[in-house]
Amino acid sequence: MRMDRSGGNRRRSVVLAGLLGVGLIAVAVVLNISFIVNYWRTGLLLLLGVLSFVVLVGGLALNTAFLIREIRRSEQHDAFIHAVTHELKTPLASIKLYLQTLRQRELPADTRRGIIDTMLDDSDRLQRTIDQILLAGKTGTARRVDNPTDVDLTEVVGECISLAGKRHNLVNGEVEVIGRPAHGEFVVQGDREELVAAVTNLVDNAVKYSGDRVRVAVNVAKIGARRVAVSVRDQGMGITSHELKRVFRRFYRLPAALHSRVRGTGLGLSIVLAVARRHGGRAYADSRGFERGSTFTLELPLKS
Amino acid sequence: MSRVLIVEDEDHLAAGLKLNLEAEGYAADVEDTGEAALARLVDGGAPAAGRGFDVVLLDVMLPGLDGFEVVRRLRAARQFVPVMLLTARSHTDDVLRGFEAGADDYLPKPFDLSILLARIRGLLRRRRWLRGDGTERAVDADEYSFAGRRVDFRNQVLRRGRAEQPLTLMEATLLRYLVQHAGETVSRRTLLEEVWGVRQDTDTRTVDNFVARLRRYLEAEPAHPRHLLTVRGVGYRFVAEPDR
Repeated sequence: MRMDRSGGNRRRSVVLAGLLGVGLIAVAVVLNISFIVNYWRTGLLLLLGVLSFVVLVGGLALNTAFLIREIRRSEQHDAFIHAVTHELKTPLASIKLYLQTLRQRELPADTRRGIIDTMLDDSDRLQRTIDQILLAGKTGTARRVDNPTDVDLTEVVGECISLAGKRHNLVNGEVEVIGRPAHGEFVVQGDREELVAAVTNLVDNAVKYSGDRVRVAVNVAKIGARRVAVSVRDQGMGITSHELKRVFRRFYRLPAALHSRVRGTGLGLSIVLAVARRHGGRAYADSRGFERGSTFTLELPLKS
Repeated sequence: MSRVLIVEDEDHLAAGLKLNLEAEGYAADVEDTGEAALARLVDGGAPAAGRGFDVVLLDVMLPGLDGFEVVRRLRAARQFVPVMLLTARSHTDDVLRGFEAGADDYLPKPFDLSILLARIRGLLRRRRWLRGDGTERAVDADEYSFAGRRVDFRNQVLRRGRAEQPLTLMEATLLRYLVQHAGETVSRRTLLEEVWGVRQDTDTRTVDNFVARLRRYLEAEPAHPRHLLTVRGVGYRFVAEPDR
């Protein structure tokens, strides 16, 4: 996607806000210096003056920083609206086109069956996007899970992998579980649906960002005495070190992903992080760098 | 048989469009990136008469080069095949941006199959009128001269001395309509209905955009037009020989 006009305007506003801030700070500093030169002999007055100038300069600097951050944020928000519009309207357009085709034309039975499968695919895609948006809204507001139950992580991981296999038409064990954990070995307290969504997002991402050669390893392992980690490793496009944290921000998408064919809304990992926090755990990423694969880990406290 | 090039990276939509176009008796090819489409339509910078395509259906949100940029490059390479943009982005600014880039029509997703097919027929029909090889002839003459300029509607070219300015299909159709009604004031609404064949939902600023483009081609001073006059609050009037 090329930058659109509103994006260009924003970039200009960022530069403008920055320049204005720096200019004002420079004026304050010059005034401060001349003040010091004028009053360097009167102790208390000098001290008070310098202090108030420091406050002024600090305020200006903070104001500039906040302004720039807000402009950036609304830029990401715009990109999100575009992505969601696309993710909702594309499958809808496809379903509508095929339904009208079925109504208007006499088609052979196998073509009709193919069309119905295509429409089912599209409605799944639509449902995933909607679920993702609803879940982001739910996990983004409350801090804790409402009615926690016992959840077997091994089972959750198994379910997520078979789901991803169906969704991405994987047949040759491209996604595998390392070291077969036993059922009931890792039980956490929480919301099963949310945990399934979080692990599914990790596995989905791993497959999506792998390109043509999908090799994903999922590992469930104990960390210390009381925690368990689900880590998902891929051999895909990888992440540069300064983006390892940013990818968990809501609406954030890797610049490289925006130019590739990988579709997404920028919600997935922010949901993973929110779910981790709601369960008293954390989520983080590791990568040996761009084009060298990455590992995403969801760490949760075990049921005591 | 008319040939349509579908440029769409969503496999499902591309397959659905191809199925329907073929059922309507068109030949349809699919490309899934802007780069590939440009390679098909522009041959080393020289257009080979549209490379055989009569209409291009172009998605806007493509990976790599987006649809707007693809039309812009097509027009820059003097490839004037009719282009219809298909996109989920239906905001007025997006639509205007598409027309500014040189598109001939714009259809937001999700669309009605019958409307899509009608619009494709419209583009093909206008192309035939301009080429003058159909039975339906909209205008008597294929050429028109005024104030030292000659417009060749059949080949979509504006000539002035040795200089040649190619026109897009919609530019040529609009100019032809205004020329046919020389001296009369034509409203923006009428132009939208008669030239673009749309009744509602299209912004009348589309017309303003096209008039601005035509002025750049045929006015000595586009800011002070003498041939393509604005009639405030109504529309436009074409004047071949201004009084002063």
